Formats: sequence, structure tokens, C-alpha cells
Amino acid sequence: MISLLDIVGPVMVGPSSSHTAGACRLSRVARALLEEEPVEARFELHSAFAKTMRGHGTDRALVAGALGMEVDDPRLKDALEIAKERGLRYALKPKNMGPEAHPNSVAITLTGASRTIAVLGASIGGGMIEIREVDGFPVSLSAKDPCLLLFYEDRPGVVMRASEIIGRRGINIASMEVLRRGKGDEAFMRIDLDAPLPPPDVDALRQMPGVRRVHVLDRVAGGAPIT
Amino acid sequence: MATLNSFAETLEQAERSERPLDAIFLEAESSERELPPERVVQIFRERWTVMKDSVRRGLAGGKSFSGLVGGDARKVMEYTRDGDIAGGRLVAKCIAYSIAVLEENSRMGIIVAAPTAGAAGMVPGTLLALSEERGFDDDFATRGLVVAGGFGALVAAKAELSGAAGGCQAEQGVGAAMAAGALTFLLGGTPRMSVHAAALTLQNTLGLACDPVAGLVEVPCVVRNGFTAMLALTGAQTALAGVESVIPMDEVVEAMVKIGEAMPRSLKETADGGLAMTPTGCRIRNELYQIR
Repeated sequence: MISLLDIVGPVMVGPSSSHTAGACRLSRVARALLEEEPVEARFELHSAFAKTMRGHGTDRALVAGALGMEVDDPRLKDALEIAKERGLRYALKPKNMGPEAHPNSVAITLTGASRTIAVLGASIGGGMIEIREVDGFPVSLSAKDPCLLLFYEDRPGVVMRASEIIGRRGINIASMEVLRRGKGDEAFMRIDLDAPLPPPDVDALRQMPGVRRVHVLDRVAGGAPIT
Repeated sequence: MATLNSFAETLEQAERSERPLDAIFLEAESSERELPPERVVQIFRERWTVMKDSVRRGLAGGKSFSGLVGGDARKVMEYTRDGDIAGGRLVAKCIAYSIAVLEENSRMGIIVAAPTAGAAGMVPGTLLALSEERGFDDDFATRGLVVAGGFGALVAAKAELSGAAGGCQAEQGVGAAMAAGALTFLLGGTPRMSVHAAALTLQNTLGLACDPVAGLVEVPCVVRNGFTAMLALTGAQTALAGVESVIPMDEVVEAMVKIGEAMPRSLKETADGGLAMTPTGCRIRNELYQIR
């Protein structure tokens, strides 16, 4: 469903909704998944994204997102200088991802003090984005609405226990996706929610047996929550 | 939108319930966002304020980041004050205001995408020009903005609104169609007239290439917002006169998607063709990026 406020919006720093605002949002998602201050950011840009990178301020927008800025933050245009001040090393380079990849695709690798996260995403117009891969798992998420990502060991009962914790809080699961690398191997769950899950419940998810990590994406790419 | 899937369905609903288009769209958005309609109106009103600010800052501002554009909106306004212009004040303001937003955008100023940043000029430009000339207040203009948003959302349900996927037709074509529908609404046209205004406008942008010089949202994007604003005005004028589009709006959108797919990548925001690859376009790019 497309919202009218996504069409007449976002309120943003120019010059391009897909190449500036969308790029910033893709990077914001990567930062949210990293859950710590990044010290290194690597961006690989495909096709149209690479071709017009400097002209559209895509480089500044990607770095701004990694620094946690929103699409309407006037400091976005100084993001490269601010990254230097804050000690964020960054590198941008073109990468041909093949004819099937969306022309506005970017592979983002963020490294913090304790971990690294890899995100592949595309800017699909008007500032809207789609995350297509997280740490190698194929996903499809807009990051507009509250969403949980679980990485865990493939074993019986995890899906049931997770939905139990969410259900107890009275929060509705909008949609859900479960994947695994192989039987008994690392597995992945994406849970879209109608409302954000309170932190104690997120902790309960984290303490479930077999769960390696839980990421919370609360409207990272949708601008400030409208209430 | 929760309940609307096509222009035909929206029109049917508006005619059956005898309600204005903005009421239909507001109801859909309110249910999609789970917000009271008054809150949705309030957010649109806030965005309208940002839009008006972007016009004002655009008219006052200087050159773009690259130095290629800037100051054209003011030229159009100053010429108009001399009272010697082909289309009168409404036309001149539509052109100048639409360009102003894109000039502000090219300086990395704050704008409201409508539906994209590169096509952010027409909706605020034409709605503000009309409101000033006709004495419409902000509340009424905001109702037009809701209609523009609804039209854009209906197109976006079928088409990706980016130059990279669909060329400029999917950005400025859609922005002009949104503006045409909203202008027709504000001028008292029926819902049917609004939809025809959008269809007539969009079909006359089909095939429009996205070929930005040096990959900047500057040439031809900035002045093109003034030109496509004129298409929106033409769409409203013809539809209000009773002219109807032979091809229904939903089918025009489908045609736009297919044309976008058929267009070569070089004409879809890669700066690898068209104006970007003219001798002058290449020289500008080389100078900006010090390529030898």
C-alpha cells in the first residue's frame, strides 16, 4: 500500500529523492542493524547509483545515514566533513551487480567496535527503499514500519516461542518470513509488526535458546513516526 | 491505500457517494495510517507550509552547488512585474514558482518531494500560483494537495516513480499529472474532470528521457519543472472545458510503465545519453569532475 504522505513527501534535503533521501535511508537501516557507532563504512554502488553519485549527493547522503542523520537534516550536505571529525572512515566505489539488479542498488558494509553488518538495498523512487539482503540472507523489507530481524540456530519451537512473546503483549504480526541456510544451520526470521515491541519483550526474544541476535527496526526509513 | 486500487475505482466511488476527491483520499489515508482524518490534514498542512517556504527561498536564493543553475525563477518573476508576458500573472507564477523549488533543491535546501525531488516543483508551484491569484486560503490549497497526493499514490501503486526505472515521465510526468488533477479540483471541476486532466497531462509526457547533465538534478530538470507546470495548467484548462482523454488514466499509467521498461538505460538517470552526452554536456561533466 502506498501512502499519500509518502508521495507528497518526504520533507528532505535535495537534490534527489531516490539518490539523496533514499540513499540516506538505506544507510540508516544499516546503522540501525549495526546497533553501535560505525568506525568504517564501505559502499559499493551499482549502475545509475554509481553513475550520478557525486551529482546527486549520494556519497554525502550515504555517509549521513551511517552517521545517523535523517533525510531532512540540514547537516546532510556536510556529512563527508562531519565523518572526518567523528572518525568514521568511509570508501565508495562502483560495482557492477549484473543486469538483474535494480539500477539504484548499493551494498553497504558497516563496521563498529564489536561487529560488522552487510546490507544490500535499492532505492525504488520518491525516497522509498527496499532492503534485499542482510548478512547474505535474502529479505524484502521497506523498514518503514516496525520490524524485527532474528538470527538463530535452526531448531524446533523458535517461531512459536517468538510469536508467543509478541502475542502476549497484544501486538499483531502483520507478516513473517522464515529462512535458513540449511537444516540445523543458521536461520533467519523477519517479523513485521503493527506496533513497536517494548524493550523488555525484545530482551525476552534475545534470551530465547538458540537466538544469536535480534535487530529492531522501528520505522528507520519512514521519517519520524507520525502519531 | 486501503480501499483504492485504480483511478476508475476511485472515480466510481466519488461519483456513487457524491463526495469530493479529497474526502475519498483522506478516508483511505486515514485508514492506511491509522490516524484520525484531522491529523492527516494537519500533516498535509505542515507540508504545504514547507512547500511555500521552498518557493520563497528558491526565489531569493543564488546559484546551485555546481554553479550551473540558479536565479532563473527570479528572472521570470522580475520580467512578469514589467507586465509584459505572454500568459499573464498566473502562467508566469506557475513557471517561476515551480522552477524556484527546484533551484532550492539544487542547493541541497529543504524541499518536499512530490512525487520525487527532481519533480518537486509543479505541485507547490502551480497550487501556490493559483491560490494567490484566486485568493484561495491555505486550508483550501491543502485540500488540493491531498488530491495531488492521492493521484500520485494511485500511479505509484502500478509504477515505480524514479528516473532510473521509468525515465523523466515517471517523475515530472507524474508530478504534472498530480498537479493537473489538483488544479482541476481547486477550480471546481468534477472528479471525472480531475482524472481526465491527469490522463491528458501524463500522456503528453510519455517517453520523456531522464538525461541529466553531469548526473546533476539541474539541467534540464530545473527549468523543465516550469515547462511541465504548463502541461499541468493545460491539462486542467482542457479538462475543465470538457475535453476527455480517449485512453483512460489507468491505461495511460500502464503505457508509461511499458515505455519505461523499453527505454534504454542510457536515458534513465545514468547520465549516459541524451543531453548529458552532447558535446556541451560532456564538457560540463569533464570540467566539474576534472576528467581529461
